[in-house]
Amino acid sequence: MTKELALLEYERHIFSQLLEENGLVVMARGLGIDRIFTSFLQLYCTDPGMLVLVLNTTSQDEEYFQGKLELADITPLPRSVTSGISIEERRKMYTEGGTFFITSRILVVDMLTEKIPIDLVTGILVYRAHKVVESCQEAFILRLYREKNKTGFIKAFTDASESFTHGFAQAERVLKTLFVRNLYLWPRFQADVLDFLEKENRKPDVVELHVSMTTEMKAVQMALLDIIAACIRELRTANTQLDVDEVTVENAIGRSFDSVIKWQLEPVWHQLGEKTKNLVADIKHLRKILCSLTTYDCVTFYNTVNALRNNERAFGQNAGWLFLDSAESLFVHSRRRLYRSVAPNAKKKKTTRATATEEAKAGEHDADTVLVVDMEQPAKWTALSDILKEIDGENKMADTGAQELGEVLVCTEDDVIAEQLREYLENGAQSVLTRLYNSTIAAKQGKPPLSLGDQKNGGKYKGKSSSKAKAKNTHNPILPDILDDTEEIQSSVSGDDKKEQENASCYYKILSSPIVIIHPLHGNSDPYSLSRVLHQVEPRFVVLYDIDLAFIRQLEVYKAARPNMALRVYFMMYADSTDEQRYLTMLRKEKEAFEFLIREKASMVIPEEYDGKSSNNPILERGVKSANQTVSTRKGGASQQPVESDVRQKILVDMREFRSELPSLLHRRDIDIVPLTIEVGDYILTPEVCVERKSVSDLIGSLNNGRLYNQCLAMSRHYKRPVLLIEFDQNKPFSLQFQGKSSTMSNDIQSSDTLSKLTLLTLHFPLLRILWCASPYATAEIFGELKVDKEQPDEAAAKAITVASCEFSLPGMDRFNHNTQDFVMKLPGVSSKNYRQLLSKVRDLAELVSLTEERLGEILDNKAFGKQLYEFIHKEKEESKTKGKSSFHSRRWRR
Amino acid sequence: MTKYNMQAAQEPKMESRSGEPEVRKVQPSKGSSVLVNPRQTGNPVLKCIRNVPWEFADIIPDYVMGRTTCVLFLSLRYHQLHPDYIHVRLKELGRQYELRILLLQVDIKDPHHYVKELAKIAILVDCTLMLAWSPEEAGRYLETYKAFESKPPDMIMERTDNNYMAQLTDCLTSIKKVSKTDAQTLLSTFGSLEKIVKTSKDDLSLCPGVGPQKAQRLYDMFHEPFLKANKQKTETGSR
Repeated sequence: MTKELALLEYERHIFSQLLEENGLVVMARGLGIDRIFTSFLQLYCTDPGMLVLVLNTTSQDEEYFQGKLELADITPLPRSVTSGISIEERRKMYTEGGTFFITSRILVVDMLTEKIPIDLVTGILVYRAHKVVESCQEAFILRLYREKNKTGFIKAFTDASESFTHGFAQAERVLKTLFVRNLYLWPRFQADVLDFLEKENRKPDVVELHVSMTTEMKAVQMALLDIIAACIRELRTANTQLDVDEVTVENAIGRSFDSVIKWQLEPVWHQLGEKTKNLVADIKHLRKILCSLTTYDCVTFYNTVNALRNNERAFGQNAGWLFLDSAESLFVHSRRRLYRSVAPNAKKKKTTRATATEEAKAGEHDADTVLVVDMEQPAKWTALSDILKEIDGENKMADTGAQELGEVLVCTEDDVIAEQLREYLENGAQSVLTRLYNSTIAAKQGKPPLSLGDQKNGGKYKGKSSSKAKAKNTHNPILPDILDDTEEIQSSVSGDDKKEQENASCYYKILSSPIVIIHPLHGNSDPYSLSRVLHQVEPRFVVLYDIDLAFIRQLEVYKAARPNMALRVYFMMYADSTDEQRYLTMLRKEKEAFEFLIREKASMVIPEEYDGKSSNNPILERGVKSANQTVSTRKGGASQQPVESDVRQKILVDMREFRSELPSLLHRRDIDIVPLTIEVGDYILTPEVCVERKSVSDLIGSLNNGRLYNQCLAMSRHYKRPVLLIEFDQNKPFSLQFQGKSSTMSNDIQSSDTLSKLTLLTLHFPLLRILWCASPYATAEIFGELKVDKEQPDEAAAKAITVASCEFSLPGMDRFNHNTQDFVMKLPGVSSKNYRQLLSKVRDLAELVSLTEERLGEILDNKAFGKQLYEFIHKEKEESKTKGKSSFHSRRWRR
Repeated sequence: MTKYNMQAAQEPKMESRSGEPEVRKVQPSKGSSVLVNPRQTGNPVLKCIRNVPWEFADIIPDYVMGRTTCVLFLSLRYHQLHPDYIHVRLKELGRQYELRILLLQVDIKDPHHYVKELAKIAILVDCTLMLAWSPEEAGRYLETYKAFESKPPDMIMERTDNNYMAQLTDCLTSIKKVSKTDAQTLLSTFGSLEKIVKTSKDDLSLCPGVGPQKAQRLYDMFHEPFLKANKQKTETGSR
């Protein structure tokens, strides 16, 4: 089993390179960063004398790595340190040594409170290292670590090369924050990788299938692209500050668009007009629809498109693009994929089989035709059947030789389509489509459900899936079990076994011969389940029903590691579709990102002290006064020094605040940080001064939902000088309103305005002081100055102000389930005062919605609230009831 | 702008002309208009006060909004030239009025140092610092302070907007991975929150945009007990 962990030639190279010197490895997506990482874990956790900390891993990552190491019989396994482990236990674990996956927030606290012997830490491994700049906790950890420990290693890993292209000298900043000097780049086109993977018996056998789209699909795609282009044009004219090169139709259809938009607009989000926000939301939504064109069947697609229009009608948000001709065309053509107009005499025949060519014919007799349901069968389905037949044939031929049949792994975009494919392979296309049609369109519009007529009765699929095929929903990697009981026939797909369905994150479908497994590429709760399946099943054939760059690479590596095994990969793609375009864009983007990094690396000058190992490192020094700091000469030079040496400056910081950069900056200013759980305020500077920090978006959000009011109320009750700190993003304009030609200022006072709300807040809290800071740096500076000559805050006093304090009031430690509590708190009539009663007297939401009005009033101790809540729960949306009947209103949208 | 600066530079003179601080007590603040100190004459901000009436009056602060609120206005550009001006004004004002606003118009390129200093001063003398980036914005603050003078805080308290749709969307989107569109689709498909909660998992997953996983998440949310199971306290509710 150790062969699992054996590295390939170039991987060994990466490994030894990184082992020798600290650095950051950037690898191409899917090329196996996890394999390298596992090797390092293996190396360190087998040596008991080491204390190695692993940062930035999710619980799924941890599970995956632990699982991998377990398979290779490695002991002891690296352990996870989460909030569930008490301080004492943690201290013991640290002194015992070992390798730990550790939650950053806990590590920060442990480092600050000196629970962990920093000087004894052997080293730190950072996963997803590209995030280290934005997430300040890790940066702070590394700083604290380097401050006290000059010898330990820091090794960082990432596969997100694209993230380094944003911003100014991002790569250099990441290196600096990581305290490493070496950047190792491993793109797919790196010579060693290329050589190795392209070798004769290492390359998988690839078959590309270009499925052609129907004319209707093409028309729909065209219409969607038109609409997206129109939206983007609007967006550009509305926002001149947008980087035009980045916001293009080509980008808009790719996954990266969200991040591009986020990167460009988020810092100024509060300054944008309603129109822009709607446009961005629309583009995102349209992009999803575009994706679903190629992935989903015609019924699902039609429903999606229709839902869009119904929502628009029901909620009255007017999106301008709905009036475009293309929008009309979108609706018409997506509908045409469902219905076929037939001359009345031909009506009797009803549905036989859907063909795309018939649709074209139908256009000829326009005048006296009747619409007949004739659903277009996705071309990929047929292609998939063909492939499976081919594989089956080959399996039979080879049957004599190998006793084991080649398994087939089919990869789909998401679980919806995986489920559909399973059904398709079992029951045939018409059955699936009919069922979908019946349960959605027919049910809604009150039309009679279709039956499959001469075929089989597909409407009730649940009853008939028992025939020769067998299906099973299951959760994670108990695949061997499934293989064992293939013989046993399980009839019901919608199994009553709830336990199993609960974490059903992947869908397997097993046909008797050949064994076919369908697995979604994305949208899985466990991102590693696909690769787990790949390694356990060791399929001989992989069908990529939808394409994913990372998985293709993974297949390559997988094959390269098994030179003796045959692997055939079928690529399925709609020709000339956005599907294809998206894949190509993704490839190009990654390549460009690496090229950019290579250039960047060549020109990067990294001073020796970046690694922070020398003893007098300016980066690590605390309390250095920056050059431009005004030292008041009037006060006679050395005024401040003696005060500071007397008492250590100290600020109490709420645990939750460690997500921001400020604590780290305060620490750097030679102020001691005391991590605490405090209910009121974020920072306690002096016994009198309590600060609530808000970023601009937080400010707007908490003004809107009333949280800020409560916080200010609490602060003014307990502290003499409550302070609201409004912190701006340092890279973005220092202003609440958008300043420019198209100023968003309206002509009269609007109470929804942030400005108005802030005014009201100050009117009601005349004691509340406001600090406006352009960046965390400015904040740190001002905090330092506010503390001069002041008393130090008292931890016990600050803690006493908390409402119900346990050791950590991290979300998980509460009496109530966090998620449901959030949900319930948002219901009208429920407030921070009465939610406890409600949560303890009612079992769950399902029970809550069935309670009577009186009962609700009783529980909430207030009839008015009860009524409010009752009405909210039972209110019917009028439009939604009538809407079902109205069928196709395309005329309405015409200009 | 230069005109205004000149105006501002003349201010000390004007003050000496009409410097009778005792008059302020007589000045009634019952009116519905903002009282403006004559030394603000020529300040472009005045042109931006359109939604509430204003009149000149003999007062110590620059603007008086009512019995409890007053505003001192300071342009950073002016502050740059006359750093002592604001100290004089603040000293003059003392601790009168319950809420003293220092309205700062940020009209210089690199304001951070000044903003920081003024923020510190504001804390020392118990003033509330407000920042505006244009005369329009400053004017809007002045208007709003007057208009909201006796407005209750409902607007910034919890649960203020009564828009059913917004509230419901807010609720549903608190569930992970559920987007605004999903929330709307759910409501338009099933009709009410009650029906959404009571819908079976399979029916949920048939909603466009809601796959089996999202359906599962929703379903779990609706049927997850409020109380944590692992706690020994097993109060299963009174019913």
